[in-house]
Amino acid sequence: MVAPAVTLTHLNRADGSATYTHNDYSIIGAVNGPIEVQRRDELPEEAAIEVNVRPAMGVSTPRERHLETLIHSTLRSIILTRLIPRTLVQITLQVRSLPEEDASAGVNTSLTLLPHLLHTAFLALLSASIPLLTTLTSVLIAIPSSPTTNAFPPLLSPTAIELLRAKPIRSIHVFAFAGDGKLLLNESDGKFSYEEWSEACQMAEDVCCGEDEEEEGGVKLDDGEGAMDVDAQAQGENLEKWLRSVVMRKVEGEQRWKSAT
Amino acid sequence: MATSLTLVLPGDVIAKSALPTGTGKKKTLTLGPGLRHTPPDTVTATIAGALVTDNKKNAASIEYNTGRYLPFAGDLVIATANGSAAENFNCLLTPNTPSATLPHLAFEGATKKTRPQLPPNSLVYCRVASAGKDLPSELTCVDPSTGKGEGLGLLKGGMPFKISLGMARRMLAAKGGIPLLETMGAKVGFEVTVGRNGLVHVDGGNVKTTLAIGQAIQEVDIGALGDEGQRKLAAATLKHI
Repeated sequence: MVAPAVTLTHLNRADGSATYTHNDYSIIGAVNGPIEVQRRDELPEEAAIEVNVRPAMGVSTPRERHLETLIHSTLRSIILTRLIPRTLVQITLQVRSLPEEDASAGVNTSLTLLPHLLHTAFLALLSASIPLLTTLTSVLIAIPSSPTTNAFPPLLSPTAIELLRAKPIRSIHVFAFAGDGKLLLNESDGKFSYEEWSEACQMAEDVCCGEDEEEEGGVKLDDGEGAMDVDAQAQGENLEKWLRSVVMRKVEGEQRWKSAT
Repeated sequence: MATSLTLVLPGDVIAKSALPTGTGKKKTLTLGPGLRHTPPDTVTATIAGALVTDNKKNAASIEYNTGRYLPFAGDLVIATANGSAAENFNCLLTPNTPSATLPHLAFEGATKKTRPQLPPNSLVYCRVASAGKDLPSELTCVDPSTGKGEGLGLLKGGMPFKISLGMARRMLAAKGGIPLLETMGAKVGFEVTVGRNGLVHVDGGNVKTTLAIGQAIQEVDIGALGDEGQRKLAAATLKHI
């Protein structure tokens, strides 16, 4: 898995912004807040959150509405809305480009897009310094259909081409985890057994937030078992670490004047 | 100021060893923006940034440079007064936020008979008297203990420039000032007012000086120039005035 590329705070009119590129999905996110809320949307004890998803082309459809609802409920649980009551946090996510093969991979395209949208929204919130309860990392897992489950291991954060090659895909799952390892969101599509789901969930958790155990695991895998190479590589890229490196760059940029002469 | 750089993400629990321990009279730990206290004694970060601790003041906060200004009691801000209702002026600290109130009587020498007249959209330099999440924040232009203006009040002439929040904090810091202004101040006369809400008001007497100084400040902000860079920039700017 290649780490996503991120640019933070590049739009100067918005309070916070992020551009996120991963596996040919590119999304621009902007956050404004806390700002004045319309009277009818005002909540007496917490902040209102507005999520707008704009597709790469055309106008938004029920598919975008559905994504907006999913993102809204996920973000509501990580934004400390009670610290900024009677205000609005407005999140706009503009899909800039999609991989060409996205539509032909034969899987639910809103699910393949969802982890990327969640990451963009979270990074834009970080950039806007909105008070947050915890961090968020998300990953897509696809289970190809095969007579024996061992022949094709689940694909971790596959690119559109990988999905196309692994056709037919039996089920895909999107998991989002909080910084403390709690499951925030799970959307699954297709046919799958509970064992498959649980395996996928474990795999996602390792990638999203497997801090300590994950490092040990990496060492163990290096010792022997060449068959597990793919997993070892995948585990090497930990989304939690990636997030820290993104923030590190942001902070370094902000503190630059202190060291400049 | 004793500082140590620790990177934090939202939800990170700040280790007790990273927080300053109280010395002498100041036993209570003061938490600045970005930190949240969960009883009994857990401190978690709510934003991403660098943890800054100050042992002398027994305070900790998270330094960040992006996002919208949130009023904090005691901050000096440049507010836009747009309209007056009953006994207050309605002021904006940042665009699109609920307005803050500035009482008519919170000016130096103001009485019920002689109320200050502010033209619409005039800039006022004031201090945040109170800021809470449940009430509109209140501003004041007098020092409550002396009743004097202490330099607060209506800003006449000049022009405001947008700067980042970190830059405003840097210019208002206790050590004070940036070499750019010191170098330029030796050659030309001007007046600079810094608001914590990301605004700096420059009055150079004439348009050319005002613009040159304002743009130089913005350049220092964007380029994150250090002392040397600022002196160079000051020399270059002075040539054109």
